[in-house]
Amino acid sequence: MSNETLQVQFCGFGGQGIVLSSQIFGTASVRGPKLNAVQTQSFGSEARGGECQAELILSNGTIYSPSADEVDLMVALSQPALNQYEERLKPGGWLVIDPELVTSTGRDDVEVIELEARKVAGELGLELVANMVVLGFLGEATGVFSPEDLFDVIEESVRDKFVELDVEAAKKGMEIARERGISMEVALDESG
Amino acid sequence: MLGNYALVEGALAAGCDFFAGYPITPANEISERMANRLPAVGGKFLQSEDELCSIYSVTGASLCGAKAMTATASAGFNYMQEGLGYASSVEAPCVIVDVQRCRGENYATQSDVMQMKWGASGDYEVVVLAPSSVQELFDYTVEAFNIAEKYRIPVIVMSETTIALMRENLTIPEPGEIEIEERDRPEVPPEDFLPFSPNDRGVPPMPSFGEGYHTLYSLNPHDEAGNINWDPDTYENMYERVLGKIQDNIDDVSIVEEHFADDADTILVAYGSEFRPAMDATLRARDEGLSVGLLKLGTVWPVPEKELAGAAEAADTVISVEMNVGKYTREVERVCGPRAEVRSVTKNRGSIHTAGEIYSAIKEVS
Repeated sequence: MSNETLQVQFCGFGGQGIVLSSQIFGTASVRGPKLNAVQTQSFGSEARGGECQAELILSNGTIYSPSADEVDLMVALSQPALNQYEERLKPGGWLVIDPELVTSTGRDDVEVIELEARKVAGELGLELVANMVVLGFLGEATGVFSPEDLFDVIEESVRDKFVELDVEAAKKGMEIARERGISMEVALDESG
Repeated sequence: MLGNYALVEGALAAGCDFFAGYPITPANEISERMANRLPAVGGKFLQSEDELCSIYSVTGASLCGAKAMTATASAGFNYMQEGLGYASSVEAPCVIVDVQRCRGENYATQSDVMQMKWGASGDYEVVVLAPSSVQELFDYTVEAFNIAEKYRIPVIVMSETTIALMRENLTIPEPGEIEIEERDRPEVPPEDFLPFSPNDRGVPPMPSFGEGYHTLYSLNPHDEAGNINWDPDTYENMYERVLGKIQDNIDDVSIVEEHFADDADTILVAYGSEFRPAMDATLRARDEGLSVGLLKLGTVWPVPEKELAGAAEAADTVISVEMNVGKYTREVERVCGPRAEVRSVTKNRGSIHTAGEIYSAIKEVS
């Protein structure tokens, strides 16, 4: 039996918390039983504003290749990043975009899910926590990690003064996924 | 854990107690963690003013008895070549980390693979280890210190953006489970000591500065007493020993993994992170009944010729996989060429091969 895997790519520009999002998603995922994770990233030399992407592979078996031929789930938080990477999305895969930041996609064979993460984050008081809205949303929709693990990993990963707001943003993202009935069926048998 | 952090933990587990580094991405997390961790274990951290200072202070620390390391990335590794030559000449055990990156940017590459071996002037042998994962960044760094101590040479950990900035599971063995080598120390009193008189491995026992032993370290040709001597015989003998101590012990410094390589028609050869998609492609091809094996080179210098030749002997085709313009393929060609057809599969676009890309190359020859 071949291993079950989930390939996720986050892309946008530096400063949006792209790398941190993939890191938290991966760390929360391996808190549960028996999943392996490999996270990689690339970014320009600019501290902020340059192109940025991070890739995450989850599997119940050994993960060799750190970069997949196709990804199951892509989160795009800028139009140039999506333009560059959208061809990597598997037909029938999920594309999560913030409609304020991404207005068009060349893919009509994927499921486009709009999430106004930046707007929701702004209403909470800080647009920078949009990535936490996304994480809460993805956790709820995929069920790959538990809310408790997510909150724990957020607490370990961000500076103290941001923990409360970040967790609040993640809870808001979870709530949105629940209210809209968004469910991404992920085949990751943790007993594998 | 982050790859760069795992490397630091490996260094500390091996007994590293001196680190010097000058900032450069994607190696900065190594300096950052060393600065945090070294003082706590009684070591010393130096943020140097440039890469020359890094390599020379590491060499000096080594001659004072420290287990010393520096880390940089491709452009910074250029500057270190002179110091690498000096450290090789005076046989100073130390570890140098090069996190390879594309020019000026943090994109993935293996393009320094030849500079590892041929960057400095003069004749020397270095051992270059090419980890492929976060776990191997730990394991191979321990091994790098051990080889450096055992053979009194600089050992290079050839890291890559791909794994340095990768996060994955790491298991750190209990301290008692890790084998640690220490340099041979003189067994004679200072007055009877010849600083370059070798032991049975060709390696001179090594005192530290300040212990009363004669410790003059010259780049120039020197005899067993350490005196500079331009006599052609002295010159020739010195290099025969300095090169021979590695060449004669190549099995001891070679890390090679064979995967299904015994009787495969097609053999892939890969090192560093490129092992990973090559392994996926090999497994996929074998699932489909193709006769494919994989040779993973954990040591790229000196070239593990025996293992390469052995694998090529039974194969029809050898596919050399790397993330540059095909530099190491020439070494594969040199060893395997007389025995099998050698093909080069390269990617020079700032990202690692995918399994699908390598699988396509296998299908072409199958």
